[in-house]
Amino acid sequence: MSARTAKRKKLKSFQRRQDKYGYLFMAPWIIGFIIFTFIPFVMTAYLSFTDVKQDIRGFNINFVGIKNYREAFLVNTEFTPALVAFLGMIIPYTLVIVIMAFILAMMLNAIVKGKSVFRTIYFLPVVVLSGPVMYQLMHLEPAVEGQINPLYYTFVIRMIYSYSEPLANAMVSLFDNLSIILWFTGIPIVLFINGLQKINPSLYEAARIDSATSWQILWKITMPIIRPTALIVTIFSIVQLGAMDNINPVLVQIKEKTANTSGGFGYAATLSWVYSLLVLVIIGIAFLVFRERKIKETHKYW
Amino acid sequence: MMAKKIGKIVIYFLLVCIGYIYLEPIFEMISKSLMSADDVIDPSVQWIALHPTLGNFSVAARVLKMPGSLIHSIAFSAGLAALQTIVAAMTGYALSRYKFRGKQFWFTMILLAFIVPVTVLMIPRLIIFMQVQTSFGAQMIGTVFPQVLMAMFGQGVNGTILILIFWNFFNLIPYSLDEAAMIDGAGPFQVFFHIAMRLSVSTVLIVFLFAFVWNWNETYQTATYLGGTMDLLPLKLSTFDSMFSSNASSGMGSEGMYKINEAYKMSATLISIVPLLLLYACVQRQFIQGIENTGITGE
Repeated sequence: MSARTAKRKKLKSFQRRQDKYGYLFMAPWIIGFIIFTFIPFVMTAYLSFTDVKQDIRGFNINFVGIKNYREAFLVNTEFTPALVAFLGMIIPYTLVIVIMAFILAMMLNAIVKGKSVFRTIYFLPVVVLSGPVMYQLMHLEPAVEGQINPLYYTFVIRMIYSYSEPLANAMVSLFDNLSIILWFTGIPIVLFINGLQKINPSLYEAARIDSATSWQILWKITMPIIRPTALIVTIFSIVQLGAMDNINPVLVQIKEKTANTSGGFGYAATLSWVYSLLVLVIIGIAFLVFRERKIKETHKYW
Repeated sequence: MMAKKIGKIVIYFLLVCIGYIYLEPIFEMISKSLMSADDVIDPSVQWIALHPTLGNFSVAARVLKMPGSLIHSIAFSAGLAALQTIVAAMTGYALSRYKFRGKQFWFTMILLAFIVPVTVLMIPRLIIFMQVQTSFGAQMIGTVFPQVLMAMFGQGVNGTILILIFWNFFNLIPYSLDEAAMIDGAGPFQVFFHIAMRLSVSTVLIVFLFAFVWNWNETYQTATYLGGTMDLLPLKLSTFDSMFSSNASSGMGSEGMYKINEAYKMSATLISIVPLLLLYACVQRQFIQGIENTGITGE
């Protein structure tokens, strides 16, 4: 009896020690998270309904209801187009990044010689990728003023152009900036290779014995196993693309409004709140697309 | 057998082509930055300059406030990276070694902190720092303090990934090592410093390098908190176009005004990334391994 209580006491003190030192090591991060991430996140939601005025003593915050939202969507003629432009950038870019990273990882996984050389090249952009560098590279004017992008003369683009003008424009900008978009695949490729190498080779063997084609193996074995990695890559790409301040049209606007300290804070908070919700919704959609589907129990085994 | 060989050749061919697409912007930078003003407007000049010149670099370096901004950038990024590395190590250690209550919750929060766009946090953070400034009379905005504080408390650039790298590495260290040290009378902090940190020198280096590069390339927050009070290379590059006309001709007088063109822009871009490229050339293996070892692909 007494031995049992002593043991329980010991376990209790063990748990207490775990709590104490665990939180001691975590303390800086938790404090920082509450002050610099959690409180600001909630505060922006509140500020988006207010009008912030700065005077000598500090900030004057007045509740104004949905005035800022009305202004953002109905009065401001630049915000909604910027959001649309942002969507038009982030969705195709993310798709290209994830698909290209997967294909490149598959190819790199299939070769032996020179693998590290290629990996070094593909990973290089990770260290140089920044808003200003991308801005400079994407805003090179054609040598001759008013020269039309030669891509418009290619047969396929002309065909698409006659069908739908915006689609053709989007295609041209995609191909024009292909290098820059590919620069975002540096980390995703490494993650995909890592995921591919964890697939048990005997699975492929078993499939081959059952006379599955490479195409079937890709869709029935590789894809389902790689799905969690694809989710991480997608989220990572969305976050990374969104953070490129010089090429993100919404961020450019929010930055302008934030710099205007005389009274633009409430309005800027509204814009950034709307923008962030949009980003979180996109990430949520990515999550739904890639989440584990509970159709077959066998999936659990992997 | 034959088909397999052809397949290999096709793969290599594609990899080389795509590799070229990757490096094309850098080739273009080098080629454009060597062009004289005449070459830039000459449509027949594509890659090789007819009248190559190194003058673009000296003009671009002057606009970028070169030697000073390079030193500032290195000191700024290295300082923040060191702070971030320490906090990431401690957080990763707590997650890997202790079974405290609410661990799962905080782990989720660490992941969520990565997803939330920084934009949504900027205004309240600014207000907090300005409030501190007015109520304590300490200068905050326009100094490095906001970012130093955030790095110190683990909210720096991509802090989540740094934590995950450490977390995964600490998970690989056998727990019996900790126990052996504890039996010999080591306290939790001694175990952390003498066992975990001593074993993870290479991981510390990897995390530091990533933090360094990410802090170097981060311009959105830096521009807001620091403004123009410190000459940093990427910030100078982001205002290069607008600053060019006023700064290029300073102290040159005799040659008159410079007109901005692609050659200057590309020289400036090249100057700003060369330090990072040199760093990558030395430690590229560590960089790639660092991402391989995050463990975020799920074990």
